[in-house]
Amino acid sequence: MGFGRDSAIALAVLLVFILLEFTGLRSAGLVDFAIRFATFGLLALSLNLLIGSAGLVSFGHAAYFGMGAYSFGLLMQTGAWSVPAAILAAVAMTALLALVIGALCVRLSEIYFAFLTLAFQMLLHSLILSWIGLTGGDQGLMGGIPKPPFLGVDLARQDHLAAFSLFCLVASAVALRQILRSPFGAALRMLRDNPDRAAFLGLSVFRYRLAAFVIAGSFAGLAGVLMSLYVSGAFPSFAFWTTSGEAIFMIMLGGVSVFLGPLVGTAIFLMLNDWITAVTEHHGLFLGIILLIIVLGLRKGLLDFAVEHWRARRGNQP
Amino acid sequence: MSTIKPPGLHRRRLIGVGAAAAITGFPNIGFTQARQPIKIGVPTILSGRVAQLGISSRNAMQIEVDAFNASGGLDGRPIELIVRDSRGVPAEAARIAREMISSDAVEFLFDAEPSSGGFAIHEVVRETGTVTLHINSETSSLTADPRQRFWNAFRVARQGIHDSIAGGYYAASVARSRNLRRWMTISPDYAYGRDTTAEFVEFARSFNADIQITGETWPRLFQADYTENITRLNQGRPQAVYSCLWAGDLVTFVEQASIFGLFAQSQLFAVNMADYTTLQQVRNLPRGVHSGNRYLRNFPTVPENLAFATEYNRRFNTFPTNWSWQSATAVRLLTTALRQVGGTNPREVAAKLKGMTIESPFGAEGTVTMRAEDQTLVDYAIGWGTTISADPFVENMQKADWATIRRLEAEWKRGKGWG
Amino acid sequence: MELTELGECVSSLSCVVTQLAAGLTIGMLLFLVASGLTLIFGVLGLVNFAHGSLYMMGAYFALAAYGPTGSFALAVLAGTLGAALLGLFFERFLLSRIYGQDVLMQLLVCYAIILILDDVVKIIWGADFRNMGVPPAFLHPPFIIGGGVVPYFYAILFGITALIAVALSYGMSRTRFGRIVRAAAVNPGMVGALGINTTVVYAAVFAIGAGLAGAAGALSAPIRSVVPGAGVSILIESFIVTVIGGMGSIGGALAASLILGLTRSFGSIGFPLFVEGAMFVIMALVLILRPSGLGGRRG
Repeated sequence: MGFGRDSAIALAVLLVFILLEFTGLRSAGLVDFAIRFATFGLLALSLNLLIGSAGLVSFGHAAYFGMGAYSFGLLMQTGAWSVPAAILAAVAMTALLALVIGALCVRLSEIYFAFLTLAFQMLLHSLILSWIGLTGGDQGLMGGIPKPPFLGVDLARQDHLAAFSLFCLVASAVALRQILRSPFGAALRMLRDNPDRAAFLGLSVFRYRLAAFVIAGSFAGLAGVLMSLYVSGAFPSFAFWTTSGEAIFMIMLGGVSVFLGPLVGTAIFLMLNDWITAVTEHHGLFLGIILLIIVLGLRKGLLDFAVEHWRARRGNQP
Repeated sequence: MSTIKPPGLHRRRLIGVGAAAAITGFPNIGFTQARQPIKIGVPTILSGRVAQLGISSRNAMQIEVDAFNASGGLDGRPIELIVRDSRGVPAEAARIAREMISSDAVEFLFDAEPSSGGFAIHEVVRETGTVTLHINSETSSLTADPRQRFWNAFRVARQGIHDSIAGGYYAASVARSRNLRRWMTISPDYAYGRDTTAEFVEFARSFNADIQITGETWPRLFQADYTENITRLNQGRPQAVYSCLWAGDLVTFVEQASIFGLFAQSQLFAVNMADYTTLQQVRNLPRGVHSGNRYLRNFPTVPENLAFATEYNRRFNTFPTNWSWQSATAVRLLTTALRQVGGTNPREVAAKLKGMTIESPFGAEGTVTMRAEDQTLVDYAIGWGTTISADPFVENMQKADWATIRRLEAEWKRGKGWG
Repeated sequence: MELTELGECVSSLSCVVTQLAAGLTIGMLLFLVASGLTLIFGVLGLVNFAHGSLYMMGAYFALAAYGPTGSFALAVLAGTLGAALLGLFFERFLLSRIYGQDVLMQLLVCYAIILILDDVVKIIWGADFRNMGVPPAFLHPPFIIGGGVVPYFYAILFGITALIAVALSYGMSRTRFGRIVRAAAVNPGMVGALGINTTVVYAAVFAIGAGLAGAAGALSAPIRSVVPGAGVSILIESFIVTVIGGMGSIGGALAASLILGLTRSFGSIGFPLFVEGAMFVIMALVLILRPSGLGGRRG
């Protein structure tokens, strides 16, 4: 039932966008924004599976974003892969990386988990920088990423890429929501809120958390693929801690407890970022002050705040 | 009336603090005839460790743009610069470039990013076909590698290979006269550092086969402390040390190496020493460091060069950098092309830029040329000299010979399979 | 890998002296920053991601004091006190509002502080890097010990940092304040019940931690460029130290700082391209094998 409704909503969103884009209302700004929104929204959504649902605060989520981007870019540059095949392969490779790192990390709790994920991310980052022969080092993957058309979709065109990116985002959102509704999602939340009870019921903390880690990593890998399509390359900064930091920022802006919170946060973050870059060179000063106001003023994401406020009001009614 | 202001200027005033030198530098120029301005996007870095890159690029562009607008622009159309900060993140540089093209409708780009962001923007304009002048990217492959070349991208900057040939030639002759055989290198571990060092070594050895590289050390880019690299150099007891560290990193290295007594035993060849921001910050500048010119107001020794530095100093209360002369040259090249074409048609402007020669205070012989075959700047002044502790900071400048540079550059390209 | 060179180095006295002296000095500077970080975490339970910015501010304050006075002692004092006061301000007005909240909140508030401070120093002191230069009083030829080189100023730095470390350790173990702080780290509720104002203790601990970072920034200002964003790399290294040493353990931080300093100096000879990577590998290994770190209290 939930799946059907979600899918219907998702389809409607996608249709509205495509109507906007391929009729007179399109603008170049909208197309660019759609691609970036889909990319970072997917990254934030996938990270929130760990932070919001599993209670695992990862500081190293950008590792999978970078892995997806580099795997996809390198596969496409061989010239032997079609776009869908390369996407599947890149996501699979990212999942494998997440499996290995996750197996080492998910045993740790709280801050130690955060730091170990950070350490692996930095390790991947320094590997990208030093393996110049494969990755191009600090210059990133150069020479462009070929995008041969498939099934009538030509990703070299920005409007096609925007529609494709949004399709990926919407499909992933529906899939992630299904995962959270499933018994698996319920188990994750129980592990987060009451690990003792979960252990008593015989749930394997390790397996559930590892599975969540791999799923989140895979979707982050898909986000990385979209990013590499957008900039026609891949750069070490994709796997740097600042990218993880921004994803966390987006989640916190929107809210961790509501499924769509990270997407709202992403939209706010991107608009904020673009607006600040356009009006001032004191980017940090502006962003920092806005951040302080939100964090110390609301103490939670905007959607969290809104939902609580709404519930409180409803609760007060006779 | 239309007024020309860089974006965000009045908002910065609202913040109300600092950067006074930068703000007072921009006069508002009125026009009797309101015409659509020619928008030029400038993605660059204005924050963090290399903010000086963007600031000194923007300053120089503004001087030249003001002069162009004051003299009537392009048939009354003034140039408007849209400068934005990528914070040194290549993906953000690509994003900003894309947005400038699609949302701000800029007609040209001055890419004032360093190499990393420059390559990202290169990929963007390969798709969009926007005429782009790369201003601060010195990595040779950007224009030397034919796969990187397309009709609408030009480089208006010194190029690693040119510096390396000039530096190698100079170093080889110094090494011969002082019998310096054992060399070590210390350069930042990223594309520019590695390529430039490898090219320098290749050419120094081709001019003087006695030069031996006995060791190398590769600090990270922007490493805070060079102690471990200096002790490594100390162990090797080289007669000469080559470095392409730059700006704050070079200053830190020189200060630390001084107190280790490194320069008592080794000659230093630092290609990026002779830039005012660097020279003025070194407190204990060792005498006799060999350096290439980045920007010096007395090299080339022509009145126009001195006048440029004086005007820059008057408006911004500091001296131009290497990035400044490159930016000024980019504006002069583009505005000359615009006036010759009499419009902004990208194909026509690009065709005009190809092979164009203009008079320039920064030229080795009074002119610089946008070489047609690889769309990169040539004939700019390159020289090497030795440092002294006070103004003019560098003496005994020896001018590099462009005939030699061209010949060896061509050989080098053939060797790479790029000929 | 150039392990043969490392072997040659270890078997030559001059090389060992040079690398040891350099490694220990870098290690001690790192310790000043990391000890403040670990102290704050141990007592306040706060991961101070803005610690590197306090180091940077210490360097800028030192520069500002050194310019007009020319006195290095005053510069160090200004760096230390300036950073301590700034830390106090942040603790009172910003961070104290998020005690007990999850690490994400702490991360975001500290991130905001980092962003703001980087821009503030740019506005006040300019975007360009600045350099204090080694004060003329310390411009002496290096000591030559057993053929190894030990710069005069490094010996001074090592002396000062060692004194601070001794004072810190004495203060924590022998004074009433130190005992209160250690008690607060274990059981803040009990300390409060004994009539001690934990708010004051927290503020004091944060100021001391910030002051230590500021001192490190001021002490290293003569030999490292002072530049917006200078705090990032030292922050990351301090975190590695804190994790390896055990979060909250000052003794562990000392051991880990020296290990990292020596890894840097000997690593630059034995595995020059993997010095950075080696530090992350050490950190990952410690986290996997012994998450509580070298000096950690938890088993």
